[in-house]
Amino acid sequence: MRDACHKVRQDDNVRVLVLTGAGAAFSLGREPLPTELATGSAIQRQAWIEQLRVADALANLPIPVIVSINGDALDHGLELALAGDIRISAEPASFGLTDLSKPGCFPWDGGTQRLPRLVGPAWASDLMLTSLVIGSAEALSIGLVNRVVPPGELTRETQRLAEAIAAGGPIAARYAKEAITKGADLSLAEGLRLEADLNIILQSTDDRAEGLQSFVEKRPPRFTGQ
Amino acid sequence: MPAFETLLYSKDHGVAHIALDRPKVRNAFNIQMRDDFAEVLSAIDDDPDIRAVLISGEGRAFCAGADLTEFGTAPSLVKAREVRWERDVWGQLHSLSKPIVTAVHGYCIGSGLEIALLSDVRVAAAGTVFALPEVQLGIIPAAGGTQTLPRNVGAAVALDLLLTGRRFDAAEALRFKLITRIMPEGRLMAEADQIAQLLAQVDATRMLGAINAMKQGSDLALDQALQLETRVAELALGQ
Repeated sequence: MRDACHKVRQDDNVRVLVLTGAGAAFSLGREPLPTELATGSAIQRQAWIEQLRVADALANLPIPVIVSINGDALDHGLELALAGDIRISAEPASFGLTDLSKPGCFPWDGGTQRLPRLVGPAWASDLMLTSLVIGSAEALSIGLVNRVVPPGELTRETQRLAEAIAAGGPIAARYAKEAITKGADLSLAEGLRLEADLNIILQSTDDRAEGLQSFVEKRPPRFTGQ
Repeated sequence: MPAFETLLYSKDHGVAHIALDRPKVRNAFNIQMRDDFAEVLSAIDDDPDIRAVLISGEGRAFCAGADLTEFGTAPSLVKAREVRWERDVWGQLHSLSKPIVTAVHGYCIGSGLEIALLSDVRVAAAGTVFALPEVQLGIIPAAGGTQTLPRNVGAAVALDLLLTGRRFDAAEALRFKLITRIMPEGRLMAEADQIAQLLAQVDATRMLGAINAMKQGSDLALDQALQLETRVAELALGQ
């Protein structure tokens, strides 16, 4: 996952990333802590966790990331899904962070932080503390996923969503993501400063000129990412 | 107050009413409108008789977004950045000392939506079309939308709406918690006016205290925010 994210980062032609699962499930389960480490030092356990953490590599990508959830997303699988920007799910799919019900397991790939930020503390507590598993309709209603589609339509709907995003200005899309994700950790006043500065930088791009020109000429824009 | 080129302004029973008034271009927000807004907001801020503000749009739409025909007229990036903060009409809206109700109908696009996001109570006519199309034009929102939208609807919904630029309707806006009330178009202004009158009945100190406690508190850790609330309440309850 880290290598793949690195590859995506190096490729300027990639405007949107789609993450999905092969087979029936999106991703389930978790690597439990090896028993000998449980009695070892905290430093050893930390090293083991650091080695397995991958969600940050995904979350830190500058381009938009769509998570196309083709089936159940549980435990570490859910943590991966939480690291993307927009989640689209097939029906039916189950969602949960059930680590506390399993010995040797704990959410260590962003779940304790990204879940409450996405669905609010009440739902995050219920899911995480009771190991509750919910279906796609409920996931939609609490904001865990953005969209739910019938199973046969996931690939097509994901493609449509990705193309809609890729049709926009690539720099604008990255800056919009930066403004929203970085802005979440800032005060409103600081966030507004960030937005204004990104806006000024965008004024120097060819894509902005092309976007405005295409609007005036009532034609689709041809963005180059410059 | 003098008449404005792009705005209608009236005052009645403590409520100031601003109507965007460029109906031929669906109230597209241009530089003149920005300057008119700056002037009217500063007058409203200073007027002790005004205890609530209502913003709406004349004609078939609330606001179809920024007037793109005026884009690219700033002399340089350095100058553009200076002007952004010299004429900070968005900051004026956000820090206005009176509560703001916005009534939107028809189209509420781009900067129109950002104006609504900077107000306190938002009511929409059924069938109103919303969108933030900036990214599809190679730009990003410039009136605070990248910050105010996620603070209202959450980052995931904000990214979906902003990255795709897709249109959504009032029912979806209600589900996203972007607005709190939907009215049939024929009853929109009566409802919005009633809300504004209600806000105007509350004494200014407590109204402003409640708004400031929420706005300032949202940038603080809870324990600090609760201390802020105590200080605000102490002042607001004084005669």
